[in-house]
Amino acid sequence: MNIRKLLIGVTLLMVMLVLAGCGKKTEQVVIYTNADEEAIEVMKEVLDKAGYQDDYILQGMGTSELGGKLMVEGDKIEADLITMSSYFIESSQKEHDMFKELNFETNSLLSYPKYYTPILANTGAIFVNTEVMSEKGLQLPQSIKELTKPEYKDLVSVPSIMDSSTAWLMILSIINEYGEDEGLDVTKALVENCGAHIESSGSGPIKKVRVGEVAAGFGLRHQAVQDSMEGKPIKYIDPKEGNFSLTESIAVVKKGNEDTEELAMKMAETIIKEARSKLIEYYPVALYDGEQVDASNNPENPKEFGEPLTVDLLEEHQKFFKKAN
Amino acid sequence: MHKNKKQATIIYIFIAAVIIMFLFTPLGKLFIYSIENENGGMFDNYSAILRDKEIITAVINSIKISFITALITTMLAFLLAYSVNCTGISKKTKKVIHIGILVPMLLPTITYGFAIIYSLGKQGLITKLFNREIIHIYGFNGLLIGYVIYTLPMAFLLINNSFDYIDKKYILVSKLMQDNFFRGFINTILRPLLGTIAGAFLISFILTFTDFGIPASIGGKYKVISTYLYQVMLGSIPDFNKGSVIAVVMLIPALVGVVLLKYLERYNFHYDKINKSQLIKNRKRDVILAVISILIIVMITSIFVVMFITPFVENYPYNMTFTTRYFTKTIMSNTVIGVFKNSILVAGLTAIIGTIVTYVSAIINTRSDIDKKLKSTIDFTAMVTNSVPGMVLGLAYLFLFNGSDLKGTFAIIILCNIIHFFTTPYLMAKNALSKMNPNWEVTGELMGDTWFKTIIRVVIPNSLTTIIEMISYLFINSMITISAVIFLVTAKTSLLTSKIKELQHYANFNEVFILSILIFITNITFKILSKIFEDKYIRVNK
Repeated sequence: MNIRKLLIGVTLLMVMLVLAGCGKKTEQVVIYTNADEEAIEVMKEVLDKAGYQDDYILQGMGTSELGGKLMVEGDKIEADLITMSSYFIESSQKEHDMFKELNFETNSLLSYPKYYTPILANTGAIFVNTEVMSEKGLQLPQSIKELTKPEYKDLVSVPSIMDSSTAWLMILSIINEYGEDEGLDVTKALVENCGAHIESSGSGPIKKVRVGEVAAGFGLRHQAVQDSMEGKPIKYIDPKEGNFSLTESIAVVKKGNEDTEELAMKMAETIIKEARSKLIEYYPVALYDGEQVDASNNPENPKEFGEPLTVDLLEEHQKFFKKAN
Repeated sequence: MHKNKKQATIIYIFIAAVIIMFLFTPLGKLFIYSIENENGGMFDNYSAILRDKEIITAVINSIKISFITALITTMLAFLLAYSVNCTGISKKTKKVIHIGILVPMLLPTITYGFAIIYSLGKQGLITKLFNREIIHIYGFNGLLIGYVIYTLPMAFLLINNSFDYIDKKYILVSKLMQDNFFRGFINTILRPLLGTIAGAFLISFILTFTDFGIPASIGGKYKVISTYLYQVMLGSIPDFNKGSVIAVVMLIPALVGVVLLKYLERYNFHYDKINKSQLIKNRKRDVILAVISILIIVMITSIFVVMFITPFVENYPYNMTFTTRYFTKTIMSNTVIGVFKNSILVAGLTAIIGTIVTYVSAIINTRSDIDKKLKSTIDFTAMVTNSVPGMVLGLAYLFLFNGSDLKGTFAIIILCNIIHFFTTPYLMAKNALSKMNPNWEVTGELMGDTWFKTIIRVVIPNSLTTIIEMISYLFINSMITISAVIFLVTAKTSLLTSKIKELQHYANFNEVFILSILIFITNITFKILSKIFEDKYIRVNK
């Protein structure tokens, strides 16, 4: 075989590959989201169904990572469209004035600022792996505080508020119920019991409970409901301290490119109009006119925090959590 | 033979410009960021870090675990190399050891953590096999296992290579002189290898200290410096000054290591003539070492077995029915296809351009007439690129090119990779080129060929195997790196490794493993193809 020919062949192949990679120059809408896998799946589904399958790139990331990007980069962010915890959208808008007003009707139950509208609401709860519980001879916990008992040592998993907004739901419950002082003791004991099982992602604890790495955890209520319906050995418990909720919303970034902005706006509308019917199954909180929630999905003990949720409050609560470590 | 001076100088200037632009300027910028402060104090940022308990803990943790890793890795690597070189273990077994140890090099470190969790965790494959948890894996233990697996291949290659230069005749002589085992061992093996062994220790230490993939996936509460840097830069309250200070701190052990390595070179033993003498037969020794070596290899590979099982069953470990559902779904998804293409593009271009840049640099250094001082600057560059951790380089790029058109492009990732991986292919080329007949250029000139023509007609064809090795090295390393690119990738330029990092957020192990398999298969295929190509080439030339 002629070496030179082979070399030329290989080089040509590589060059073709490169050209194939660079040649495609259509502007795609970049979507950044802190949503969970289930929600991302639904959003992808409705966008694909509406014929957008090649028009977008969807990038998931942690709440704190996306939050950091929003606060630092402002409208220089790569994303054209974001879905994110509402308090972060509000704070970054205040800082950078970076979102466009939505140009479609939403019919939301509550009123929201013009530049965002919620896609879902998250509710927190405790969940347990019943197999591990009976194996270890543990009683079903009724409150977050019960998870601080010594028998739960190394058998509890909770998310860290440094990276996850789900963790905030837990901290809100604790501070609301016990105040800052006793709350700190509860959090300290909880962190102690978790050992290595403090997760950076909100879905970390449920995964660990699911595979039996730990017996109990705190996380998103709907995930546990889903697991238990699928027949996994998972039970969900609404804690005595209350179920708190946070909304995640969608917003279009002002990028100065009208075509992409318009496309992003249309995608936002598609997600709000088409995805809600499915999203409400996973996140059973009614947000728009005419939405129905199955009774079994309603948390037993819904509560609201005394102060408005802002990034500043989050930072305060992050410091609170750090003190407990 | 002064004709090439002008041409070589032009090429030299070009390479120097690239290196100044993409190595020294970003690092300079990083340094400026690290001393920049609103209050004006030059080292305020540094003294703030010294007072930060969390950072100090992270640094101490990193040093501690790197030291222990290096210790274990060096001992294991030595044991394996000794078994391969100084025993009568069968050729086949030696081959198994040799290939087995290289498996981890084809996978990104971020995969190791997930593989360890699913092998040794409460529901892990190995745990199930033994019916109990062997060790607690989150934090220190898991990290240690991961780091040892990660650094062992490199340490082994280094020591194994040096065994070639040991004259085994002396082992025989020592035996004949009735030295006891230890005396003989120390004098004939350990002494001459001391430089290399220390080198292997240092390399393991540096690799561990600067790796990001393993702690990202299995670190647990055990904070090390690289995860800390990531959190500072990409957490909810990013702090660029703090980040740059940590990056500079991360440079220190690496720089110290490189200086030490340079120093250690002196201690390397050189025999003038290597005798291929027969080894002394010792059946007991052979059996024991063979068992231990195979055990090490089995332990390493068994960690990765799980990667090929979980994505192919319904619901690990509860429902073990075979399914290709997840695999097909992942492979068919638009996102994965796109990311896979991105990875191939980046690895392919890094391999091609990187090989050209490093090869040309080596040519200038070994086969041109430019000034000796200029030549030594290339060696200096290779030393610097070797000591800059990928994460630090990536961060430096982020700082320097943030406002420029390069931000968010494939070009910046490829450039970062080329600089990051510069050293090894450069040294490969340099070694090969300096061994070639120095008179070729003169002969070429006498025959009326220009310098270029001689290079193209004679030098390149004669170093084709090295070139293939360089391409292969660059390609595979670009496929598996995460630390160098983690700050540079965007949604549009996402790579397989950064996608794995993203999937970690959802603890989606199936997809993590499927993407890892994709990387593994790609790398194996590339390795096999280059081997076929090499064999064919060598045969043609014989």
